[in-house]
Amino acid sequence: MTILRSILITAAILLLGIRAFAAEVIPPAPNGYFNDNAGAVSATTARDLNAKLQQFERDTSNQVLVVIYPKMQSDSSIEDYTQRVAQKWRGGQPKLNNGAVLFVFVQDRAMFLQVGYGLEGALPDATSKNIIDTQIIPQIRANDWDGAMRSGVDSVIAATRGEYKGTGRTVGDGDLKTPNSSPTAGICAFVGIMIIVIIFSSLNRSRGYGYGGMGPVIVGGLLASRGRSSGWGGGGSFGGGGGGGGFGGGGGFSGGGGSFGGGGAGGKW
Amino acid sequence: MKKILIVLAVLVGIVVLFGIWLAGGYNRLVGLSQTVDKQWAQVQTVYQRRADLIPNLVNTVSGSANFEKSTLTEVTNARASVGQLKIDPTAAPTDPQQLQQFQAAQNQLSGALSRLLVVVERYPELKSSQNFMNLQAQLEGTENRIAVERRNFNEAVQAYNTTTKRFPTVLYAGMFGFSPKPYFQSEAGAEKAPTVQFDFGNNPNAPKPPVEK
Repeated sequence: MTILRSILITAAILLLGIRAFAAEVIPPAPNGYFNDNAGAVSATTARDLNAKLQQFERDTSNQVLVVIYPKMQSDSSIEDYTQRVAQKWRGGQPKLNNGAVLFVFVQDRAMFLQVGYGLEGALPDATSKNIIDTQIIPQIRANDWDGAMRSGVDSVIAATRGEYKGTGRTVGDGDLKTPNSSPTAGICAFVGIMIIVIIFSSLNRSRGYGYGGMGPVIVGGLLASRGRSSGWGGGGSFGGGGGGGGFGGGGGFSGGGGSFGGGGAGGKW
Repeated sequence: MKKILIVLAVLVGIVVLFGIWLAGGYNRLVGLSQTVDKQWAQVQTVYQRRADLIPNLVNTVSGSANFEKSTLTEVTNARASVGQLKIDPTAAPTDPQQLQQFQAAQNQLSGALSRLLVVVERYPELKSSQNFMNLQAQLEGTENRIAVERRNFNEAVQAYNTTTKRFPTVLYAGMFGFSPKPYFQSEAGAEKAPTVQFDFGNNPNAPKPPVEK
């Protein structure tokens, strides 16, 4: 047992070491909807926009995020890197894929709006490009970051408002996620029960008693295990995303499980 | 008598277990194969999306006064050859040759398109027109989508291939017709840094550097 533990610890250290050496950093999903990690906007604007985007998810179920970083921590292209980050965070509802993330890298003077599959209709590339080129970048050039972010968020909200209906709650609000018990446990239990039943029924038969009465138990057991394991459909790959439901106490952002296909547009200033 | 029955029951149990285990493995292979096909459909969709943009692009560009006709013809021809490819959009190809052919045709179109965009740089009026800017945003977005869906496709194929080649699945994967599926290859030359040749005229027979597209 201790050997196993030490092996695990070594593996973890090795993995961490590899991650530290890699040039690319995939940040964990943010807690809020509007995240200024570079001190670009005033606290009031950040708070306002965060509340606005949170309310927007309640109204429409669309998960729109803004993240501002000082620098892009990757050697890859911005469209490739931000797509992978957005996919990792899984903004948007599982079936609707209605997420959008605006990434801003201050020192790189670049931004990219990643649009989830479900919002590509409401926010096509040309519209995204237009929002960035006419609503955001001119004001950044004029050094009005608050104005740039406000009008950018408003434009994205205006473009995507009519697309889906909200539930009045955010994913972060509701306790929608239950821990996913592994389905193999259910199968093992089922097989175990099967074997016992077979043995017992053969014993019973040899004693001359009828068999029966066990059937419903098997079915019941199977159903019970199935029911438990199918707690949260949709996002099987979310597990690695840094603790589902762990963040967002107090109703912050929590990725619903949406997917991104590289839609959207970017710009530089 | 009772003992024989118990032994029999255990044997039946083992057979049932084996059956369940086999069914589980089979179902997993079916699921992975379906994922690959689904991703293949996505790849087709994004390539189709690009092909659909081209008539509009050609119209917009050819409207511009004395635009170089040769680049336009090249794009149109490349699009036509892509359109002639007969490939099943619902099932991922199992023949590497087929995928390679598909990829070669699509790459030809990519090359022609990027040459077109370079030529457009010489036409500032066209370049700054709203119509062209929209088209360019759509084209760029489509290229990004192609990159994403190709990557997702390769990941799906990798998951599938790994399972078919892994013990014990490898014992029966071939029996049920689950053969390995081909990947998209990365663009030729994309993984290599371009070679820089300094030719100061000392060697007239030195190979000319490849013409960049």
